[in-house]
Amino acid sequence: MTQFLMTAFHVLVFPGALFCVVIGILLAGIDRKLVARMQNRVGPPLLQPLYDVLKCWGKETIVPRHARRGLFLYAPLVGFAALITTALFIPVLSYTAYSTGGDLVVILYLLTLASVTMMVGAAASGSPFAGVGLSREMVAMISYELPFVLVLLAVGKVAGEGSALGCTFSLQTIVNWQAANGSILFHWSMIPAAIAMLMVIPCEIGMHPFDVAEAETEICEGMLAEYSGAPLAVFKLSHCVKMYVMTALFCAMFLGGLSTGIVVLDVLLVIVLCTVVTFVSMTVPHAVCARLKVEQVFKFYWTVVAGLAAISAILVWFGL
Amino acid sequence: MIQKLIDKSMSKSPWIFHINAGSCNGCDIELVSVLTPRYDAERLGFRLTGTPRQADIVVVSGPITLQTRDRLVRTLAQVPEPFCVVSLGSCPRSGNVFKGSYAIDGPLEKYVHVDVSVGGCTPKPEAVVAALAKAAEILAEKRKEMRK
Repeated sequence: MTQFLMTAFHVLVFPGALFCVVIGILLAGIDRKLVARMQNRVGPPLLQPLYDVLKCWGKETIVPRHARRGLFLYAPLVGFAALITTALFIPVLSYTAYSTGGDLVVILYLLTLASVTMMVGAAASGSPFAGVGLSREMVAMISYELPFVLVLLAVGKVAGEGSALGCTFSLQTIVNWQAANGSILFHWSMIPAAIAMLMVIPCEIGMHPFDVAEAETEICEGMLAEYSGAPLAVFKLSHCVKMYVMTALFCAMFLGGLSTGIVVLDVLLVIVLCTVVTFVSMTVPHAVCARLKVEQVFKFYWTVVAGLAAISAILVWFGL
Repeated sequence: MIQKLIDKSMSKSPWIFHINAGSCNGCDIELVSVLTPRYDAERLGFRLTGTPRQADIVVVSGPITLQTRDRLVRTLAQVPEPFCVVSLGSCPRSGNVFKGSYAIDGPLEKYVHVDVSVGGCTPKPEAVVAALAKAAEILAEKRKEMRK
């Protein structure tokens, strides 16, 4: 019984749904406000993403005649569930809900699942704009997956130095290693990987300079072209949750050793760290850059970002 | 309680979809200037959206030419309820300088109920912001009526 209650609490409240949604909405609100301030505007209220989601929820849901009804309506829910599951595996500094030997692999697959459900929903809507958005999202995914995996490998190698495999995929082990040896961010050979990860985050979430798949001025919101009402609200919410998941993953992988030991303080600290990561990796590029072209995104990720990640991976593999 | 929250957020997050029905581009530029740092309509939650499916406020500019008429009607039919229609400038109201032309088939009232109308050739950005804010209020009222 206690076991069941604990699981329910994990899934629904603390590292799961409620926590993710609240922090995600806050992060998205802070991001929009900061972008506005950097562009010398007043900007929307802090809770604007919440208003957006609630408003979308209250609108009529239209299913186009050419759409596959089931897939079209339930793909967003599957994506949202995948993201909540991802959050369960990410330690909030010292507090871990679930940990296995292969956290990083599970997270990699679940994040891919979240993107794939979005593509499935877009494909099911039967709109040509969604089709273009879908193919662009696929290119974006191919672009960021390579550097992302290289970063994960480098981090796993650093933290798993003494273990039997010589490389660990458990986030709990990575956090414990950082608590003992200091944060991975401050190891000089890992700095390129941290920069690469900061660049992977906005593309994974679909934030501004890399939002080729949702280019609203070119292809009518791309993959979301036919979505309205409640499914759109779920997609917008998933977007907010993804912001929390990716920034929290960065904090766990690179800033894991900063824990204070008290869970409540850790949660506050994680919120602050997530906000800082959001500012550095999303707000500044959003305020400064214009949207890149599809092939520019691909080139950028496979040369610059993958190069940075590879430098770290090679250095770490030689034991530096 | 959630219904009340939704009612409240209806007026706080209106997304605009802009239809150019043969406009000379003057009003369109003024609409975009409303979103720039100087007038910053985003502080009221406004956002330009690329698809009619996500629109709450449909802004129509231009005198409804024969070429755009069918597209206008089709696009308006794709917007989910509740939504508001704002006519931007004098053209959708009366035809303006194009009145009497063989190529136009206005006014906009013939095709859809217009909630807010801004006059002027072109209207000032302040007037556009005021009209959009008014449309957002009407949107919340429409939502309340829809629930009844």
